[in-house]
Amino acid sequence: MADDDIRTQEFVTPATSSSPVAETVADGIAPRDRTEGLVPDVPTPRDVSTAGLTADAPVVAPPRRGFREMLPRRSGKLIVGLVLTIGIGLFAIIAPFVTQDPWNYDNPVFEPPSAAHLLGTNNLGADLFAQLAEGAAGSLTVGLVAGAIAVVLSLFFGIVAGYVGGWTDEGLSLVTNVMLVIPGLPLVIVIASYMESRSMWIIAVVLGLTSWAGSAIVLRSQAKSLRSRDYVAASRVAGEKPMRIITVEILPNLLPLLAAQFLFAVVLAILAEAGLSYLGLGPSGAITWGTMLNQASQHNAFTIGAWWWFVPPGLMIALFGCGLSLINFSIDEIINPKLRTAPAAVKSVRKARKAQVRDEDTRPDPEADAPVDGDDTGGNAKEKERVNA
Amino acid sequence: MKYYARRLTFYVITLWAAISLNFFIPRLMPGNAEDIFRAKMARKGELTPAMEKSIQLLFGSDDQSSLWDQYLRYWNNLLHGDLGTSITKFPAPVSELIGQALPWTIVLVGLATVLSFVIGISLGAWVGWRRGTWVDGVIPASTLLQSVPYFWLALILIAVFSVNLAWFPIIGGYDTFMFPDGPVPTWEFFSSAVYHGFLPALTIVLSSVGGWLLGMRNMMVSTLSEDYITTAEAKGLRPFRILTTYATRNAALPSLAGFSVSLGFVVAGSIVMEQVFTYPGVGKLMINAVQDKDFALMQGVFLVITVTVLAANFLMDLLYGFIDPRARHNG
Amino acid sequence: MIRSKGRKRLLTAVALASGLTLLATGCGSSGDDGDQGTASKGDGVLTVWAGSQTPIVANFNPYAPTVLHAALGGVYETLFYYNKASAEAPTPMLGESFEFNEDGTELTVKIREGVTWNDGKPFTAEDVVWSFSNETSKPEYLASAEVVDPTTVKLTFTGPQFTNEFALLGASWMVPQHVWKDVPDPVTFANEAPVGTGPYTVASTSDASYTMAANADYWGGAPAVEKVQYLGIDANTSAESLLKTGKVDWAGMFVADPDGLTADGRLGYINTPQDPTVLYTCANVEAGCAGAQTDVAVRQALNVAIDRGVINEKAFVGLAGEISPTFALLGRDDKWISPDVEKVSPQEANAAEAGKILEAAGYTKGGDGIYEKDGKKVELTLTSVEGWSDYNAAAELIAAQAKAAGIGVTASTVTWDEFSDSRQTGSFELIMGGVVGTSVADPFQIYRDWFSGEYTQPVGTQLESGEWNFSRYSNPTVDAAVNAAAATNDEAAKKDAYATIQTEITRDLPYIPLVINATQTFFDQKDFTGWPTEDNLYAFPPSWGSVSAGVVLSTIKPAE
Repeated sequence: MADDDIRTQEFVTPATSSSPVAETVADGIAPRDRTEGLVPDVPTPRDVSTAGLTADAPVVAPPRRGFREMLPRRSGKLIVGLVLTIGIGLFAIIAPFVTQDPWNYDNPVFEPPSAAHLLGTNNLGADLFAQLAEGAAGSLTVGLVAGAIAVVLSLFFGIVAGYVGGWTDEGLSLVTNVMLVIPGLPLVIVIASYMESRSMWIIAVVLGLTSWAGSAIVLRSQAKSLRSRDYVAASRVAGEKPMRIITVEILPNLLPLLAAQFLFAVVLAILAEAGLSYLGLGPSGAITWGTMLNQASQHNAFTIGAWWWFVPPGLMIALFGCGLSLINFSIDEIINPKLRTAPAAVKSVRKARKAQVRDEDTRPDPEADAPVDGDDTGGNAKEKERVNA
Repeated sequence: MKYYARRLTFYVITLWAAISLNFFIPRLMPGNAEDIFRAKMARKGELTPAMEKSIQLLFGSDDQSSLWDQYLRYWNNLLHGDLGTSITKFPAPVSELIGQALPWTIVLVGLATVLSFVIGISLGAWVGWRRGTWVDGVIPASTLLQSVPYFWLALILIAVFSVNLAWFPIIGGYDTFMFPDGPVPTWEFFSSAVYHGFLPALTIVLSSVGGWLLGMRNMMVSTLSEDYITTAEAKGLRPFRILTTYATRNAALPSLAGFSVSLGFVVAGSIVMEQVFTYPGVGKLMINAVQDKDFALMQGVFLVITVTVLAANFLMDLLYGFIDPRARHNG
Repeated sequence: MIRSKGRKRLLTAVALASGLTLLATGCGSSGDDGDQGTASKGDGVLTVWAGSQTPIVANFNPYAPTVLHAALGGVYETLFYYNKASAEAPTPMLGESFEFNEDGTELTVKIREGVTWNDGKPFTAEDVVWSFSNETSKPEYLASAEVVDPTTVKLTFTGPQFTNEFALLGASWMVPQHVWKDVPDPVTFANEAPVGTGPYTVASTSDASYTMAANADYWGGAPAVEKVQYLGIDANTSAESLLKTGKVDWAGMFVADPDGLTADGRLGYINTPQDPTVLYTCANVEAGCAGAQTDVAVRQALNVAIDRGVINEKAFVGLAGEISPTFALLGRDDKWISPDVEKVSPQEANAAEAGKILEAAGYTKGGDGIYEKDGKKVELTLTSVEGWSDYNAAAELIAAQAKAAGIGVTASTVTWDEFSDSRQTGSFELIMGGVVGTSVADPFQIYRDWFSGEYTQPVGTQLESGEWNFSRYSNPTVDAAVNAAAATNDEAAKKDAYATIQTEITRDLPYIPLVINATQTFFDQKDFTGWPTEDNLYAFPPSWGSVSAGVVLSTIKPAE
């Protein structure tokens, strides 16, 4: 059982812990302390919230069980992220049906935005708002397809390798690490240059095939950790097949992580497609945000001041990526509860301190030395105060 | 020791894989280089019989030997430093072209990466330290910056700063009017090179600093909740000391470890950057080779880029093994 | 403790140092660029962009496909200069006069005396003979080249070669025998210090530019511009920016808004359209073509359904010229156009006439507005190279205009490889492409290379070099007329032959003519005078026009 040796688990390749989520195991059981890396993993149930230090802290909600536990908590970031993402997604689905024909050149060229053309026209007279809508559909398709392919591949190379172990693990890990180190964009460029015809689907497939390695490594380390859990061991002893264990026991715990990786992969794919299109290697015959930017730069839109041509596509990419990243952030907060609770804890401590100062100002002197109501840690609050000064 | 041995073995295997990949890709893909080149030359005007002969000599006769023999010959050439001859820049050998371009890329991209790493980690540490305050609002801003298409930002910067305001040059790695004979080892040349490299470096830093920042911030927040931080605070250590000696040093480790992933992004960004700024590095060489179907040059550049990335990763692994004793002992 | 403090100090020091360096260099260099940031460059060096990309590799070998522009015309010259832009007689350069014998199998040329190579040795008749008969450049039809006397050379051919006059006298580079006979491999020879008779020599080369210096002993008088620097620029947009900011003085490239560049008065501008843009059609069923375009009625209908005015205005920004279906360049080649054929292609769409042509051929309009015959609709695919946005736009416009006339055309873009492959093998229906314009005021070369049955291959076989008949058109009347025109130098006889050809090709339309592509040139008229202008078009203006560039360079002068 050498592969279960915790000492060899996480440090075969340093890149395993490339993302902070690798530090925390996704099934909610407390992460190993970094200072105790050599001690076998014994799950110790702990309070998820570290905000119990002061009574003024918001009441810790009872830990939610089941699926609801995995949903991100509502927060400003999440709402903004969802609005951006869903908004642009709806735009991509609905808008192409209601806008003008993006291939219609019957309009005057290089028109600034007006009532007739919300985003003006390009060098040939095509309505840019319609092109933006069509481009949204194109870019999102490429992103989603590439992201899906990347996730499926990383699932296979990551989880199977992590769970099965042994020579399978060594072999799959080797492939993963090689793919990780070989630079992605140059490889895509070389492949794209040899292809005679490049449709959107081919580009998406090529992008997906070259971008799965990073998340595979994360998933592998997660699977390895989960493998040593009691409930997994129990399933194994009960005689369940590996495939069933993976799909029923391990996969559900990794869903938030997978979701985060998928969203990340989508953003990367959209940016990569934009870059490829700019270099002239993008999908031929299709409109995506990347091809719009390519045409804008070829026709010198940047220098002749036709901002309505090159600003919207870039802005849309940025906003969509930002939205996905914000959602990712919220997912990170589920996976690594410290990310959520620590800032809240600090905030609450600060509020307590402010309240304390306020109270001290308004209260008469004799009571200044008494501990503040509800502050049962006494001096600790003052320490926290100094720390956060 | 075992750690270093394992890493070295891994990199040797990866190198072999990359070189073999480089060999096989053109043979798997469609496209006859000679016909394509002939058609491209014919665009410029009729091909004289003299040119026809030149082209035939350039591409050589059909290689009838087996794939394995070609493979061995490929390795042989490689070990002698022969990467072939460029078709579009005839008769310059590929290794000479790459040798000219590589220093520009390494210096610019290397410096910009180190700079963005340092800035990103420092800012991320500060944002993480200030968790729960208004500074958390930086996060959405940096995710926005992170998602901006890199070349879009670069083109806007050029349009504003180079064309309209003329604060920076439009193209090139150095001032070709001042140095028509090419690079010379003088102070003026060096300052011209720095001046031309400022905007490209700035765009690389801007586009990659967000990633380091966010990763570091998350790690900081996690780390600051650890027991030993609480102990340090309880002991009464100064906040700044806790921040630097206890928190940042540990929180930065995963970022270092994840360097290989980030390096991929840096390489991608630099290729696009060189295209936008017409910067004389290997990225632009590759793009030109791709556009003109100069397969020998393209493969040569891909190989060099891969080897450089491998070398960088290897160095980072060595560094990581040095910094983190657990890796050395466990690996 | 000490470590962290030390590290902090080190970091601060490094940050300070780099910040200061940046500031210093920024201030230092911006001074230089500041001078050149203004509109005019008064330093006497002519900065040119002829299309070279970086990195620049020194190759001045006129036989190499990757030769740098300045070698052709600047260093090496030909016997005569044929002005592409006008119909005048060829200008003597290294040759003074020439004469064909009656049947065109012999060409006698008188050489200019007193010319020296830029290494001091004299230019002799032996050099001329060597330039024609050396292995790399010897044309197939040359039987022999011999020195008659020190100033006369006689070339003997295997057949009448009137039509190759330009290739021999206007496009064969004169190279020194004493240098080239010792070169082991003329193909790979980089020729970094070229020995030529031209007005310039190579001064230096770097990876981003190369500089030429005036040849004081040039036979036409030392050029007035001392130094010419050719830049390597990778993107047209960068070249435009450099033109605008005064860094480049002479460039020939497509600019959609030339007024923006000429606004400040420094740059002059001239547009000399030369090369036809057409729709290639795979026209010959016998050669293996398939599709609705094999029917001549469909091609004729498409020809009148197209709105060339709108295409020029929208896709070519109004900069293209009108085209003649005879493929003779309007203006320059007017004398060759037969009065019995249509001189200029229709500039407006005429959907009604298109309908009439189709109906006369037995087509009926279907319910969806598209014509059909025997149950088969007239539906065609039109491809153009992606990235060639003017062609792509024109293709889209044509698709819309054709549909309005009842012809179904679908436009799509392909990679350059696919485009080249499909036209070489004939596997296409319609392709938007260009025709190589003739270098002399005579459309013969187009008729021979693009229309004659001997210069094509059946569908499925790649065309050989020099064969340009992508449409697989094969018409015995045309072939006979081409051969007749090739065998004579008599203008009247040629006109007759051309009239026959033109009657056939304007009816059969294997290439549907669209526009004549613009050829734009921008030049610094403030700092230099003597450029070719519309009133005085003594040479073809662009910076990349080989022999003509040499002529321009030796004519211009710095402004007083």
